[in-house]
Amino acid sequence: MNETLFYVLAGLSVFGALATVMTVHILRSAIYLMGVLCLSASFYVLLGAEFLAGIQILVYVGGIVVLLVFAVMLTRSDDLDEDRPTWPRKIVGAVGALSFFSVSAWLLSQSPFAEEKVLETSNVDIKSIGRALLDTGSNGYVLPFEVVSLLLLAVLIAGIVIARKEPQ
Amino acid sequence: MFNSLPNLQVSWEVISVSQRVSTTYGESPILAVVYALAAIVAIILFMSLTAMTLVYTERKVAAHFQCRLGPMRVGWHGILQSIADTLKLLLKEDIVPDQADKAMHLFAPVLCVLAALLALIAIPFSPYLAVSDMNIGVLFISAVSGLGVLGILLGGWSSNNKWSLLGAMRAGAQIISYELSATLSILVVVMFSGSMKFSEIVQSQDQGWWIWRAPVVGLVAFLIFLVASTAEINRTPFDLAEGESELTAGFHTEYSGMRFAFFFLAEYLNLFIVSSMGATLFLGGWMPLHIGNLTFFNQVMDLIPPGLWFALKVSGFIFLSMWFRWTFPRLRVDQLMKLEWKVLLPIGFINLLLAAILTLSGFYFFPGNS
Repeated sequence: MNETLFYVLAGLSVFGALATVMTVHILRSAIYLMGVLCLSASFYVLLGAEFLAGIQILVYVGGIVVLLVFAVMLTRSDDLDEDRPTWPRKIVGAVGALSFFSVSAWLLSQSPFAEEKVLETSNVDIKSIGRALLDTGSNGYVLPFEVVSLLLLAVLIAGIVIARKEPQ
Repeated sequence: MFNSLPNLQVSWEVISVSQRVSTTYGESPILAVVYALAAIVAIILFMSLTAMTLVYTERKVAAHFQCRLGPMRVGWHGILQSIADTLKLLLKEDIVPDQADKAMHLFAPVLCVLAALLALIAIPFSPYLAVSDMNIGVLFISAVSGLGVLGILLGGWSSNNKWSLLGAMRAGAQIISYELSATLSILVVVMFSGSMKFSEIVQSQDQGWWIWRAPVVGLVAFLIFLVASTAEINRTPFDLAEGESELTAGFHTEYSGMRFAFFFLAEYLNLFIVSSMGATLFLGGWMPLHIGNLTFFNQVMDLIPPGLWFALKVSGFIFLSMWFRWTFPRLRVDQLMKLEWKVLLPIGFINLLLAAILTLSGFYFFPGNS
């Protein structure tokens, strides 16, 4: 049951990802991207990580895609359709995509996946996630957590500095 | 010290529809499928009936605030007016503007209704009536409401109309901004009850509702939630997104017939969802009103079924929202942004910090005396 569901969702995901990069309308591309992100949330649900799925939708669909659509809406609508790419661009793009594909395919084929391992991830409660995030011990994530928040703060300040009007 | 619910008494047996379907599935799969189908039909019926009732109520409430009578012709005191209006909307021609992005134009209202429908899944109507009682209930509702914003943005953009575009931009900016304050105030309750599961949040209010049980911070969080949620669903005094005098009708200017009805449906469903969130988080959800050790009073209150308690609290919330509509004048765009970023957000942060200190020190009223 779960396996069939996984293959259906994975197929839809691949279709959505292809549609995202192949459409010439930027806004439609954003909508396909939204579909792909929702589908990845469904994989988290299949793995028993409900909280992660919720955060995925909240951050990526409610935040990133909305921001993308917003940015698209602020631009002129006749610039929105992509130009037909020239031949050199097509070749360079194909080489880049192929090399990335072959590297990741090679890496995936080399990686030893634990196939028989039964996952014990069902119902990771929020309390344990919160404690792990703020734990200073060897299994804690307080250092990465703080570093990430510093990075976000820097980005925030940079955004404000760029957007601010020069004082007259 | 982290255990904020030392004396939680599970006196209510909570069971959700999805749980019931899965237990029936073991005994007879056909019955389970029938059961699930019945539940789906019930939700769809509930959706349309709620929207129709709310539209009628809003028209009546508005009329009486202005010393008018409101709809009076169709049925007794116009009670069938909404049904007549719905039929009219369904029969109207569905027009798509010539230069519009057709697929998107058709997809946007569906997305709005989908968001509202998904949020309905997590609402706890009574201990025995919730479609699914998720571990991440609160987070789920905040997450799927993001889809609604996208629907509004797409609807405005794909109409290829300046008013629609401006309305959608205003709506988007407003919803994204006020979502922050709403989430901060919800987090206060999540922290006190120590759970994101709606059934546990309701049960944690056994001894008193969080609005007054959490000293002062509960009330502050409630007020922030009230303002921010009104802004999130684009209702007056925050209805700049469809300010008639400036933008015709905002993001749904170009919509007609069935698709306009979809936006309308989503809007009223969102009002219901926000009200039930407020009632569940701050006013005890389906929990009856209990006052300390007044045993007789408490027993009388227990006679009222929990589903009715929920309905009463949600209705109160909805009436408050309609009252707002005829009390406050609409804000300007700059006032709107100033209110959120310079007033509500700082208060929300300080409130959250205070709430964290209070939760850790275990200082809140009625800490389980019976």
